[in-house]
Amino acid sequence: MKRFIRYLGVCGALLLGAVTAPAHAFDLPDLQQQLQATPVVRGQFVQQKFLRSLPQPLTSTGAFVLSAQNGLLWELRVPLFQDLLITPEGMFRRGDGGKWQALPQQIGAGRETRLFLAVLAGDTKGLQDNFDMQVSGSAGAWQLVMTPKSALLKQIFQDIRINGGKLVDRIELRETQGDRTVMEMKNARADNKLNDDETRDFAP
Amino acid sequence: MTMRPEISRLDTEAPSERERLLSLIFRVAMVLVLLLGAWQCRHGLPVSSNLLDLLPTVSSDKLRHAADAQIQKPLTRQMVALVGAPDRERAVELARGLGHLWNHSGLFAKVQVDADIDLAAVREQMATQRLSLISGADRRRLMNDPAAYAAQRVRELADPFSVGGLVPTDQDLLGLARLAEKSLRPPGKMHFDLASGTLLTEQDGKFWVLMRAQTSGDAFDQRSPTAIAALVDESRASVSKDGGELLATGGALYAAAGQAQAQAESGWIGGGSLLGIVLMLLLALRRWRVLLAFVPVAAGLLCGVVACVTAFGSVHILTLVIGASLIGIAVDFPLHYLGKSYGLPDWTARDALRRVLPGLSIILAATLVGYLALLFTPFPALTQTAVFSAAGLLGAYACTVCELPRWLRGWSPRPWKGLPHVAQSLLDTLSIWASRRTLPWLALGIALVCAGGLLKLRVQDDLRLWVSLPPALLDQAKRVGEITGIMPTSQYFLVRAPDLGTLYQRQADLGQHLDGLITQKVLGSYLSLNQLLAPESAQQQLRDRLRDPSWRARLTPSFETVGVPAATVLASIDNLVNLPPVKMTDALAGPLGESRRDLWLGEQDGQVAAIISLQGLRDTTAVAAAAQGLEGVSFVDQTGDLNRSFASTRWEAAELKLLSYVVAALLLWATLGRHATWRLLAVPLAASACTLGALGILGQPLTLFSLFGLLLVSAIGLDYAIVMYERVAGAASCLIGVVLAALTTLLSFGLLGLSSTPAIGNFGIAVALGVAFSVLFAPWVKPAPETPHPPKH
Repeated sequence: MKRFIRYLGVCGALLLGAVTAPAHAFDLPDLQQQLQATPVVRGQFVQQKFLRSLPQPLTSTGAFVLSAQNGLLWELRVPLFQDLLITPEGMFRRGDGGKWQALPQQIGAGRETRLFLAVLAGDTKGLQDNFDMQVSGSAGAWQLVMTPKSALLKQIFQDIRINGGKLVDRIELRETQGDRTVMEMKNARADNKLNDDETRDFAP
Repeated sequence: MTMRPEISRLDTEAPSERERLLSLIFRVAMVLVLLLGAWQCRHGLPVSSNLLDLLPTVSSDKLRHAADAQIQKPLTRQMVALVGAPDRERAVELARGLGHLWNHSGLFAKVQVDADIDLAAVREQMATQRLSLISGADRRRLMNDPAAYAAQRVRELADPFSVGGLVPTDQDLLGLARLAEKSLRPPGKMHFDLASGTLLTEQDGKFWVLMRAQTSGDAFDQRSPTAIAALVDESRASVSKDGGELLATGGALYAAAGQAQAQAESGWIGGGSLLGIVLMLLLALRRWRVLLAFVPVAAGLLCGVVACVTAFGSVHILTLVIGASLIGIAVDFPLHYLGKSYGLPDWTARDALRRVLPGLSIILAATLVGYLALLFTPFPALTQTAVFSAAGLLGAYACTVCELPRWLRGWSPRPWKGLPHVAQSLLDTLSIWASRRTLPWLALGIALVCAGGLLKLRVQDDLRLWVSLPPALLDQAKRVGEITGIMPTSQYFLVRAPDLGTLYQRQADLGQHLDGLITQKVLGSYLSLNQLLAPESAQQQLRDRLRDPSWRARLTPSFETVGVPAATVLASIDNLVNLPPVKMTDALAGPLGESRRDLWLGEQDGQVAAIISLQGLRDTTAVAAAAQGLEGVSFVDQTGDLNRSFASTRWEAAELKLLSYVVAALLLWATLGRHATWRLLAVPLAASACTLGALGILGQPLTLFSLFGLLLVSAIGLDYAIVMYERVAGAASCLIGVVLAALTTLLSFGLLGLSSTPAIGNFGIAVALGVAFSVLFAPWVKPAPETPHPPKH
């Protein structure tokens, strides 16, 4: 019994130390600064949708280009070919003729599609209106947990978890009703500006 | 009973037995009327300011009534407000604050800032009804080209940005719930803001949050509109102090504006005429007790209000405005014998009354005929005024005849000696003109000018005559319409059918026409039940199709390419097929049915009926034409129908006016003989003709209300003619009496001409002109060959 009490004491001391020890913990403004330091990010993604009724997740892969200024270009390649573009103006899908077509906004999506843009671009201020944000870890390996603030949003998302180091590595969306989507960013590279093809693509 | 001294039989002021009895009856009657009035006020003043109370019911169709009421509901009970601010959070915060304030004001039954979507209920409805809720186009796509449908759905599944639908993907593999969500989207430009749960839009660099409020009780009752208008003003000031902007519109605000205006006007018109008449009486008779002439006026107003409340349940504020001018007519009764003091050196009230009583009674009868004619118009506004005025006149007459002489006993006025001289010299000039044959030429000239004016006279009737709304209020309503994109119209389509299937078909046929009109930009949008739920036959067809193995075989491959096994897809199709068929009432009961709930009129007399409501209507004729050739579909244009009924009532009123002349003629013939009849009728006829001419020359339109004024003029003109014809106490004193009476009428009705409500203004101008012409023409009437009613005693 005495040993157990001592053990608790040690744990308590350790916990206290963990809270008070670091002079400056990695926080939200730091994260924002870190993510916004890179104007353009390119890379590949793997997306997995976990539906309860399916034994295997629905998996798709492709490439993405994120521009802090212009938005996100999402080029799905496997199992189907589909280009999507999210800009502050809305969401677009590339049609057969190569032209962008605006997608109708739905409830549950709507202006919240911009959320992704905000997440990837590190626009934490925009996100804070809708979510409670919890950052943990360090500049080299952090996790951001976003819990919806409004009662309505809570009924759709349980939370959104984002992991990363210098750039975003992984995004997980957990829906209240049990479905889950995981996106992993691979081979992400930072750049200073878009190339000509991309500049054209970002003009819907 | 009080003790009274013995009065000598020779005393002309002593009341006869009959007069005493009449006085007793009058007093008892007045006490009863007072008691009745007090009882009527037991729940507060029974005064209404609802414009709809005054408008005729256009149709006797029960369904049409129900539909009209549904369409009117937002107009009367609903308030819409927009709270704007440069940033979203601020706008939401300000709206929430206002919502709280309004909720606790006790003026509203319900105030909504949050969109109030019950997601659990929405999910439930979508889960059980999704097969039936998808739109016709989506249904056809699913049925006819399952491969293409599946290809598109699979793209959605692979798209990370379409997560977060209300029904999870797992339970909605085919994406039908997503399609059904469309009907949840609010009409217009507002959209749900998931973060705040409000309805929001962005315009003119501001975020606008929608607030909706239901007024408690009737929007048109007396106190709440004023209180609501005050609350809105207060809220607007506090919101703008906090850097925001408030726009508000709603029936209550219109009612408050109308009420404030009517109250202000009835105040200054009533006050002004009262003051003018008091001054005039004091100047003409120079004794304070002459103000007792207002006792009959008070009795008349009391009788008018009580009669109106008895007949209609309440008295309308506009009736009171017009009724306030009854003072001018009611005060004529005592004036008819008070004025005689100018001709009778030994004037006493009782004696003068006995002399003028026959004339007074004929005048009352003729005026009543004029008012009662209005009872037969289908127009509540006119009916109410008629009842008010008829009861008011009867009360004033009874008081003048039964009670006033008793109060004026032993009193004599101090007439102003100069006045009879002026009157006499005017009359002398007139008789010189008559002998020189100037009069016929003068008459011819007047007739020509009148004819010229008549040619220029334009006829106009519009609902807008009833209201003069402050432009600020209309501007607000317009801006709210622009920002929300919701511009409801009072026009709508009523669709009936023997059964639901046919109703759907008819709505669909009409919908095709309307879609065409939308592309032509003649119509903004429309709401119909077809947009919510598929007909049961179509639901069944879809179900059959979903069971078809060859259809299934074309659907599954796309799903398999992204990794959804065919078995899972088939299982989810089986789930869909097994959902029970959905009835209209079920679909409307759920949260998705909310926006269209008021369109369903239900089943009645073996018929089903529904409304198709319209938004942003730009060309009424073009839209009305859409109903042509479609069975069971009718275009309902309430405003247009009302305007048409105004116009038809106008001609009806004109016919009634002619009829009232005939009745008056018969009355005169029976009492005064043929000789008198045409001479007497010539005065109101000429005055009416000249008034019409003058309206034309002045560029004033002839409206239902000016015609109503003319109806009154014919009665007044006849009064004056009768007074001049009877010549009790000499022509000069009669002329003075007529001029005094005319001045009181002008002071009261003439002031109505200054009202900013066009309907009342028109009425006042017509009466003022008519009275002026009547005074001009009455002295032309030749006296009775011998006094037909010598004073008794």
